[in-house]
Amino acid sequence: MTRSIILLGGPDSGKTNYIGRLWRALDDETGALHAAEQPEDINFVLEITDHLFEGGFAPRSEHSDARRDFEVVVAAKKDGPRSRVVVPDVSGELWRNAVIDNEIAPDWMNELKRADAALLFVRVCSDQDVRPLDWVTSRHMLEKTGNVEDQGLPTQVMLCELIHFLEDSLAKREDGGLPRLSVVIAAWDLVDDNMFEQGPKAYLQREYPLVAGRLTDLEALDVQVFGLSVVGGDLKHDEVYRQAFLEAGMDGKGWVAVSDGDRWRKDPDVTLPIAWAVGL
Amino acid sequence: MSATCSFDGCTVDETGICALSRDPSTCGNRVANAVTDEISDDSVIDSAVVSQPSDLLGAPVLVQPVHTSALASSRSLGLEELNALMSTRYVNVVGILGEPESGKTACLASLYLLVSHAMLEGWSFADSRSLVAFEDIARGARDWNDGIVPEQMTAHTELADDHRPGFLHLRLIRLSDGRRVDLALPDVPGEWTQALVTTARSDRLGFMRSAEKIWIVLDGRTLADIEKRQGLIARVGQLAGRLKTMLDGRIPQLLIVVTHRDLHIVSEDIAMRLKREILRRGANADIVDVAPFSDRSDEIPAGFGIAKLIDMTVGKPVDRPIFWPSSEPVEGDRAYLSYRRGQ
Repeated sequence: MTRSIILLGGPDSGKTNYIGRLWRALDDETGALHAAEQPEDINFVLEITDHLFEGGFAPRSEHSDARRDFEVVVAAKKDGPRSRVVVPDVSGELWRNAVIDNEIAPDWMNELKRADAALLFVRVCSDQDVRPLDWVTSRHMLEKTGNVEDQGLPTQVMLCELIHFLEDSLAKREDGGLPRLSVVIAAWDLVDDNMFEQGPKAYLQREYPLVAGRLTDLEALDVQVFGLSVVGGDLKHDEVYRQAFLEAGMDGKGWVAVSDGDRWRKDPDVTLPIAWAVGL
Repeated sequence: MSATCSFDGCTVDETGICALSRDPSTCGNRVANAVTDEISDDSVIDSAVVSQPSDLLGAPVLVQPVHTSALASSRSLGLEELNALMSTRYVNVVGILGEPESGKTACLASLYLLVSHAMLEGWSFADSRSLVAFEDIARGARDWNDGIVPEQMTAHTELADDHRPGFLHLRLIRLSDGRRVDLALPDVPGEWTQALVTTARSDRLGFMRSAEKIWIVLDGRTLADIEKRQGLIARVGQLAGRLKTMLDGRIPQLLIVVTHRDLHIVSEDIAMRLKREILRRGANADIVDVAPFSDRSDEIPAGFGIAKLIDMTVGKPVDRPIFWPSSEPVEGDRAYLSYRRGQ
C-alpha cells in the first residue's frame, strides 16, 4: 500500500533535518516504525545525515529548487503490514508562497489529495519566524522608530492557512478514520525546563495563539502535538555537547517529547510523530 | 523588422548572414528561436529551415501559462460564500454602519490584533476563514509616514466591486461557558452608510436583514466637539429611521460604538440624547466606548472596550434550568410513607 505523507512548515522549520534523522532511526530498527527494506534511492538522506554526522545541520532547502522525495517501505512489526511512505521534502518557501498566492502547482495539489497524513513543523527560536503585528501595544515605540518595515505574513497566520489546506484536501484513511496531523515543534531542547513540563501545546498557546486555537477546533483532522529534538542538543552553540555527539555518533541521540496523560517525557524513539501519522 | 526577427533591419532572411555577426540559431532577437524553444527543447534547430516563415504557421502564438491549482481563499467572504458558511453552522451576522472615517475598520483591525495576541478578554480564537483579509486590514493601518500617526487610523475601505460587501469571518470560543460563536463582520465603505442616510439607498445593505446586532460606529472626537455633535446626533436619528424602513420596523438591538475613548468620554447627557433619538424610531440602543488604538496607552490600553463590544454583540449566556435536577434521597426521609401519612 502506498501512501504519501506531507511535510509542511515555513522556511527553516526543521523538516529536512528530521528526514535525515528519521532515516537513521528507521534503519536502526529500534523505534515504533522501521524500514522493511533498504530504499532504492538514499542519496538525499545520506546527504543530510552527512551534515548531522559532522556535527552540523543540513543547510536550508531554500537553496535547492528541485523537489526531493524520500521513499521508504515501513513496518511496525517484523513481517507485519507494510506501508510505502513517500515523504516529499520541499523548501518552506513553497508553502509560504502557496499561502500568499493562494495557489499551488497541480502536482503538489495531487500530492495533498493522495496523502492521508501530514506533519506540520514549527521550530523554536527560528530566525525566520515572523511575529504577529503588534502595534496595538507598542505603538509609542513605533512612532519613534519611524518607517515600519513590512515583515510579511506572520508565521501563525501561515500555519493556520496550511492547516486549512490540509483540512480541505487530505484524504480519509483507509480504515475510514480522519486524516492525521502530527504537529512537530522542532528544536524542543532549546526550551527551558518549565516550558518543557508545560508541553508543546502550551508553547503554541504562548507563541502562536491562533494556531493553538485552530488545533482545538479541528473537525476534519485528527491531531497530536509532539516536541522534537533531532540530535538531543544544540550542535551550533553547545561546544561540549557537539564534542560528545561527534564522539558517540547519532544513534540514541535525539528524542521526542510525548505526553503521558498529564506529564511530558522524552522518548528516544524519533519515529513516533510519523508512526502515529501512518498508524500501522 | 522581419517576420522571423524582432530586430529592425535584420538581414538573415535575405542573406542568411546576421548583420550583427550573431549566430542566427541562438540570437535572442529571432522570433523563431523564442517560439521553437517553447515548443520543443530537444529539437535541433536548423537555421535555414526555421527562417522560413511558413514553419511558424500552426505554432502557438502565446506561451502556455503555468497551471496552478487554487486553494481555499482566505480573503474576505462574498455573499455566496457567507451563505454557504451559514448553511453549515449558525453564523452571527453583525451589521456595521458608520460614516467614512468613523473608525469601523479600526475596530476590526483592533479586534484582529487582540485575537492574534490572545488578548481579547474572555474569548479565544478558534477559526477564521478570512485570516488573510484580517491581516490586510491590520496591515493597512500600519501605513504610517515617518512614524507620524495619521489623522485617519486605517486605510480607506475600497472594494473592487462596489456592490459587494466583504465579510470577515471569525470563530471565537467564550471562555466562561465554552460556547463557539461564528461572527460575520462586514467590511463595507462608510459611503454606503452615508448614501443610506442621505438618499435612502439601501439595496447593497440587504445583508443587514440577517443581522442580529447592528453596530453604529461614531467618531468620539466629533461627538465631543460642541459644534459638531448636534449634527451627528441628528444623523444617527435619521439613520435609525432609515433602518426602520429598510427592516420593516423590526430593528435589532443597536450598539452605538463610540471610538477614541482614549481622548474623550461620552458624557451622560450625550448618551441620553443619542438613546432618546433612537428610541423615537422604536429601537433600543446601548452605548459602548472603545479605543481601537490609543494615544494614552498607559491609561487606556489600545483595544479598550472591544472585548465588551463582542460580549454585547453575542449576548449574555442564557441561564438554563438544570435539565435533570438532582433528586438524591435525603437520609431518613421516607417519601412514600410521608405521602401515605398525608392521606
